[in-house]
Amino acid sequence: MNRVLLARLIDLVIVLFGVSIIVFLMIRMIPGDAVAIMLGANTEITPERMAELNRRVGLDRPIIEQYLLWAGSALRGDFGTSLWTGRPVSTEILLHLWPTLELTFLALLAGAVLAVPVGCLMAQTRGGAADVAMRVSAIAGLTIPSFWLGIVLILLLSAWAPGFASLGYVPFSEDPVGNLQRMMLPAFALALPILANLSRLVRSAMLDALGQDYVRTARAKGLPERRVVYKHALRNALIPFLTSVGIMTGYLLGGAIVVEQVFAIPGLGRLILGAIAERNYPLIQATILVVTAGFVFVNFLVDFLYIVVDPRVRA
Amino acid sequence: MVRSALRSAIGAGFMVAAMASASAQVLEIGADNGPTGLDPHLITAFPSFMVVNGNIYEGLTAIDKDLKIVPGLAESWTTAPDGKAYTFKLRQGVKFHDGSPMEAKDVVGSINRILSKDIASPLASRLSAVESANAVDATTVELKLKEPSAALLSSLATIAIVPRSMEANKDALQKAPVGTGPFKFQEWQPNGFILLTKNEAYWDKGMPKLAGLKFNIVPESATRQVGLTNGQYALLPNIDAATALQLKGKPNVKLSETMDLAYTLIGMNVSKPPFDNPKVREAVNYAINRQEIVDAALFGAGVPGGPLSPALKSWALDVSKFACYKPDPAKAQALLKEAGVATPVTVTMKVLPRQDIKDIAQVVQEQLNKAGFKVELVNQEQGQFIQDWRNSNFDLFASINAGQPDPDDYFYRTFRTGGSTNVFKYSDQEIDGLLDQARTQQDQAARKAAYDKVQQKLACSGPVAHLTYGTLFSAMNSKLQGFETMPNRSLLMLRNASY
Repeated sequence: MNRVLLARLIDLVIVLFGVSIIVFLMIRMIPGDAVAIMLGANTEITPERMAELNRRVGLDRPIIEQYLLWAGSALRGDFGTSLWTGRPVSTEILLHLWPTLELTFLALLAGAVLAVPVGCLMAQTRGGAADVAMRVSAIAGLTIPSFWLGIVLILLLSAWAPGFASLGYVPFSEDPVGNLQRMMLPAFALALPILANLSRLVRSAMLDALGQDYVRTARAKGLPERRVVYKHALRNALIPFLTSVGIMTGYLLGGAIVVEQVFAIPGLGRLILGAIAERNYPLIQATILVVTAGFVFVNFLVDFLYIVVDPRVRA
Repeated sequence: MVRSALRSAIGAGFMVAAMASASAQVLEIGADNGPTGLDPHLITAFPSFMVVNGNIYEGLTAIDKDLKIVPGLAESWTTAPDGKAYTFKLRQGVKFHDGSPMEAKDVVGSINRILSKDIASPLASRLSAVESANAVDATTVELKLKEPSAALLSSLATIAIVPRSMEANKDALQKAPVGTGPFKFQEWQPNGFILLTKNEAYWDKGMPKLAGLKFNIVPESATRQVGLTNGQYALLPNIDAATALQLKGKPNVKLSETMDLAYTLIGMNVSKPPFDNPKVREAVNYAINRQEIVDAALFGAGVPGGPLSPALKSWALDVSKFACYKPDPAKAQALLKEAGVATPVTVTMKVLPRQDIKDIAQVVQEQLNKAGFKVELVNQEQGQFIQDWRNSNFDLFASINAGQPDPDDYFYRTFRTGGSTNVFKYSDQEIDGLLDQARTQQDQAARKAAYDKVQQKLACSGPVAHLTYGTLFSAMNSKLQGFETMPNRSLLMLRNASY
């Protein structure tokens, strides 16, 4: 147990170190420099002033020096300040983290939790009308792009309940009703493909499990069907499900750029997108590190859950 | 059942929200982009300008909706007979948002801040004529100039006056601006919103009428539109024709429009073939059908335009004065033959990533290809485009530029040999002479005569084919009163607005 944990921790350090170097170099390879972009097209400025602006934000130093300076303070927990606003990068990330966490939580709650009964039902009614209908809906759910779904949902809601505040973000602590009101649609838009994906996965895993000998034995000894499905079969079908949920959580934690964009939610996705667009190097570096760490951590959690649900893994 | 229960739950939520907004009267604005910072001397890009200009900060002078220069923080001013000194009399009883009085020393501090190397303000070039600023007494400021500068008063409208304590402070104003304007900074949630509240101590009594402004940052156009029609936002400032047309006629929505100072253009690199040849540049102008661009790309909301916006009524020449503005592909081909270049002339055109510019670029490509050119369009990411633009790394580019209220602001830096935005590498002795002369002249008629000649020459063989001036729209809730769209996209009229 401790060994698994330790190995994962070492993984995390190696991944973070590698990512920090790759991100550092890659964002500097994108053409377009931060000063010119901040000024925008057609701003009058002399080359001397541009050089001074570069010096002001420390972009005049050699790349290696910039990396060492940054990595040094990052190790001490200081991710530096946002290029132009001078705001601490850690504050910016924290501000954008809450909406993303909330969206991730709600979307997973809706998607993953519903996927289990839906998938089981599909497996139980295999080939029947309900199964076919749900499979067709699942394919629709998988293929509808979330930006389109988001806009359509906004339009429908505004026609059906005009005046309903569905855009933007207010923290739950300030206005719980307003918060949930605004989170409903984006969480739904995110949850739909998750539900579609996972329910198909649960269906096929359950079909596998339901064909096993122990299921026949359980039925033969007279257990109610509910118990057969949810207690005996499901437990064995959960491993691929957990893996998928883990990966999806990782992606969601990186910010759902498209949905955040459509619903005007200040989450991590928009933070990264905006930082890249303005070549805000310190902000990109730290945010991507945090997102990577989140991904690795979620995978660690999934490994841990394997052990809980499946005693065979423990051996 | 479920539906009606859900509906009443939603309705209850909405009522709570409505009650909150009725008592606060903060104007909810839907903006497409958030600013990179709020220091008015550092960040000059539009998302920042829109928030700070005239709302948080004021200059010595101001530009009104007819683009006339009117008193701002300076009540009046006098010019020395030789044009090399200006004396400004400041308004009395003006206070900064931190409570300190606004005095001559603050004006001097602000000007020195912009000129300082350490702050590295890009606005320094607008004050390049200024030699020194002195506080004569608490309410009198004297500006000494190296040479007369006809555009100074118009430039000063964009020079925000900040407290003198900020003169050497690099970072504070980026996060928390302190100005003299009708609204003061309250909160900024990056990618979320910027909230300004009413300045109770504003010098112009009775202003502002609103309790505050909330700039909601909403990147998606469709979302902003829905937000306006469902009442969540009360104002979408400075939107394009396509968006305006979609909102036209929607219940509770009204539009305000004006002629835009910003112009769309095709830039030509004159430092290398084929556009080093003035005849090829003239051919481009003959090949372009500007009315077709207005109809096809701007949905009819705009006009063909020359080097100066028709909004500058006292300066701009009518386009009928420019021979090359009558589309004539045959003449274009004849000019190419005269120029001795091999046809088709194969060139690339870099395109600013904005939908209207992409549309315009396609129309222009089609028109040029019919007249002996072979144009390849290159769509670029914003940062890459700006870099190539600044490094003169292009044959042609299609873009949109903000216009300026005084011709000198635009012409001198763009077309003067060595000008700071002369990325075309254009150099023409006659134009240089006229621009030098017009910038130091005091007499309006003489300036006008010089700029007439400049426009005449630039229109057909200059490095820029000016295309169109669009109609600029703002869409707002019909209850919003007193706000109008301004040609320079400033939102300073919000102080008069009530909702």
